[in-house]
Amino acid sequence: MKRQYDDTFFYIAPSEPPPSRRPPIVEVGPIGWLRRNLFSSKINSLATIFTGVVILGFLYMVLSWSIRTAQWAVVYNNLRMLTSGTYDRRETWRLEVVAGALVFLTGLGLGIWARVARSVFIAVLVSLAVIIIVPIVSAYIPEPTIHILLRPSKTPPNFVFVGLAGQEVTVRLEPQTDPADVDAPLLGFVEQKSRVDWSTLARQVHDGKADLADYNMQFTLRVLDNRLRPLMTDEGPVQAVFDAENPGGTLTFTLPADDWYVLEVTRDDTSEPVGYAWLRIDNVEVFSSQEDLAQRRADRFGDPPEVDNALFAEEKAYRFEGARSFKQFLSLQLAPLFSRLAVPLLIGALLFVDGWVIGVLGKADKRVRRGALIGWALAFPFSIIVLRGFEGSRLLPLVDSGQWGGLLLTVLLTVVGITASFPIGVALALGRRSNLPVVKWTCTIFIETVRGVPLITVLFMAKLIVPFFWSALTDIDLTVRMMIGLTLFSAAYLAENVRGGLQIIPKGQIEAARALGLNPFLTTTLIVLPQALRAVIPAIVGQFISLFKDTSLVALVGLFELVGIVGLIVKGQPIYRPYQREAYIFVAIIYFVISYAMSDISRRLETSGAGSVRRL
Amino acid sequence: MAENQAEKQNAEEPIIICEEVNKWYGNFHVLKDVSLEVMPQEVVVIIGPSGSGKSTFIRCINRLEEHQEGHIIVDGIELSHDVRNIAAIRSEIGMVFQQFNLFPHLTVLDNITLAPRYVRRMPRRDAEEIALELLDRVGIPDQARKYPGQLSGGQQQRVAIARALAMQPKIMLFDEPTSALDPEMIKEVLDVMKELAETGMTMLVVTHEMGFAREVADRIVLFDEGRIVEMGTPEHFFTNPQHERTKLFLSQIL
Ligand SMILES: Nc1ncnc2c1ncn2[C@@H]1O[C@H](COP(=O)(O)OP(=O)(O)OP(=O)(O)O)[C@@H](O)[C@H]1O
Ligand SMILES: [Mg+2]
Repeated sequence: MKRQYDDTFFYIAPSEPPPSRRPPIVEVGPIGWLRRNLFSSKINSLATIFTGVVILGFLYMVLSWSIRTAQWAVVYNNLRMLTSGTYDRRETWRLEVVAGALVFLTGLGLGIWARVARSVFIAVLVSLAVIIIVPIVSAYIPEPTIHILLRPSKTPPNFVFVGLAGQEVTVRLEPQTDPADVDAPLLGFVEQKSRVDWSTLARQVHDGKADLADYNMQFTLRVLDNRLRPLMTDEGPVQAVFDAENPGGTLTFTLPADDWYVLEVTRDDTSEPVGYAWLRIDNVEVFSSQEDLAQRRADRFGDPPEVDNALFAEEKAYRFEGARSFKQFLSLQLAPLFSRLAVPLLIGALLFVDGWVIGVLGKADKRVRRGALIGWALAFPFSIIVLRGFEGSRLLPLVDSGQWGGLLLTVLLTVVGITASFPIGVALALGRRSNLPVVKWTCTIFIETVRGVPLITVLFMAKLIVPFFWSALTDIDLTVRMMIGLTLFSAAYLAENVRGGLQIIPKGQIEAARALGLNPFLTTTLIVLPQALRAVIPAIVGQFISLFKDTSLVALVGLFELVGIVGLIVKGQPIYRPYQREAYIFVAIIYFVISYAMSDISRRLETSGAGSVRRL
Repeated sequence: MAENQAEKQNAEEPIIICEEVNKWYGNFHVLKDVSLEVMPQEVVVIIGPSGSGKSTFIRCINRLEEHQEGHIIVDGIELSHDVRNIAAIRSEIGMVFQQFNLFPHLTVLDNITLAPRYVRRMPRRDAEEIALELLDRVGIPDQARKYPGQLSGGQQQRVAIARALAMQPKIMLFDEPTSALDPEMIKEVLDVMKELAETGMTMLVVTHEMGFAREVADRIVLFDEGRIVEMGTPEHFFTNPQHERTKLFLSQIL
């Protein structure tokens, strides 16, 4: 039924429009948020719970492993290898100079041309604070004990350690007379060799094959000083006897000076030893066997005493056993890493802030801007010259690129790859769209060929095949050949990304430019490329990130970049062989952090300047 | 007005001469024996049905399209394959497009100063001074720092006019400058064009705005199927059209 309107039906708006109001506020507490986003329906709730359980379980596993079990010593004792490979130790200052210069320039550049989001600053500050605070706090966490297994058949070792004046050391003998003790969790550093014996014994006790009931060992413990004289106190020499009447006990003593000490363990051979026992030493440090640390120790404490059957409190001989507490994770794993990182990072942060402040304050000054530009233009040649040096130079002796490794090499390969492949990629993309058939087909064939083969074949080609055909290339060192290989590979992919960007530029843009009298070169560089490149920033950065990760493939060709260096570390120091996992995880974390930073920067680039404005 | 007319008759030479221009797209004959002379300071409005070749014709004049037969001579220079000629011609001819074609990655100011700076090698400061004057002239002095995407269609088209004028061209080509605009914005663009005509600019305008044609044009040219069907003063066109095609076209459009 159609409604009927009569003359009296009309509407006229009041002459004044109503005042604008704010939109209504919808109340959403945390519960409302949860309900709306996580538990909006039965299926969604299930999905939320399922994913939540999976994520939490995974996190729990990862964290509990890395806190309780993982041995990060392979990382913190090899930071130098990881950062610069086999770069000449005496020349490390050159790396530091280059890194410092680059950090300063980065700060300067960001200060002048970019706005650094506050969240980035806060994140950096918090990380720095953590890195500084953890080692300080962990100094107050006592060292875990050291366990030495005393075997019935072997002469007990003489334990050699360094101690500080006033340090109170406790030694305990813990005979294994009780089968239940076998299962007791050990926590601390256990002599590496003995761990196996111990598990065997544990199994035997468990299976009832070994009877520890008639434990019969007699030991005399004495503490000797650097010159192997017994350590004296007011009450006489520091020593203790453990025998059948006194099977387990404690010996506590205070060290008189900063020096080397020996804990001498002698067994009374008249007794018939049948059982095993742990000698447990509290409050003595397991010291690092790193060469430079050993050197520092020798400088401070002198040479270690010469005793027979010596067992040094070196990490080479010990392994941490048992589930670590979080405190111990802090003091044993994080603190050594952070204390090694703290100073370089602090200096880096200071340089960065310096640069940044100069940049922000001098933004308007033409000289500052020009200085920054010149600095960046010179950064690369400067770095290479400083890193490589010259043959026969005294200040900068030659460090062959074969010695460059670790993160240094990874970054170098990436930077060279990116800077060289970018112009080549753009040129290839333009060439592929060229009207000249020869140019066009050359570019197309190159791009398609390179994209059609795996990177590793390109690298092997650069290593083996190219010098075979073209003998002039044999003399170019492997690192440079890898750079060329990576660059060409990356350029081909980049060309396709750029071509995608070129295709979306409307014809009208080119016509407008031509109608204004711009020649083809100006049209391309001023109108087409800026728009095309901006449109494909995500793809280009993605390409650069994969280039960064792909540099790891040069490990297969014989260069020791970040991934390859782990193999070298383990090969050179077999004690770290069981901990490759930790090393590779650390490497993965570095890759992730850098990749994430790159994609974050690209996201910021996309939305800066004209990119933030709605497009035509 | 009369004085202006007299001046135009005195001007010695036509600034644009098209003789028997022919053009094909593949086998499709777009322009058929088009001949037209335009005197300096003259405003010629080109009308005609869609697909009749109006755009193609004016795009031939600054050689965005190439003609295959006949001659086009602009300001005494014949359009040929000689690259140097083309550059010389283009910098004397400004062009305004239906879709504005502003450069979205550059600010309004940079859009306008781009060609003077890079083609004429004018110092940045001078170019910006001129650009700001032009923006004032087209009525949007306060939009210089914005990006094209932040402007309304009418404002964008006026920026496009300013951009073309920044090269100080002798001739301006307009290809349906108001067709992509909302009715409210058409007037602001037409006003700018009217003012430009009053300053004595030589203009070739493709448009469907009959009011503008009647008021501003010295001559109106009707295109159909690639040829000129009728040509005359606005008075002639609107009061006394001769050709059947013209009568039909005008009856449809008015
Ligand atoms: N690049 C091209 N290739 C092939 N044919 C084309 C091309 N450009 C235009 N044409 C054809 O040429 C004819 C004339 O086109 P033109 O754009 O000059 O017409 P117009 O008069 O400007 O029409 P409108 O009023 O719709 O803009 C049309 O039939 C069109 O389909
Ligand atoms: Mg058209």
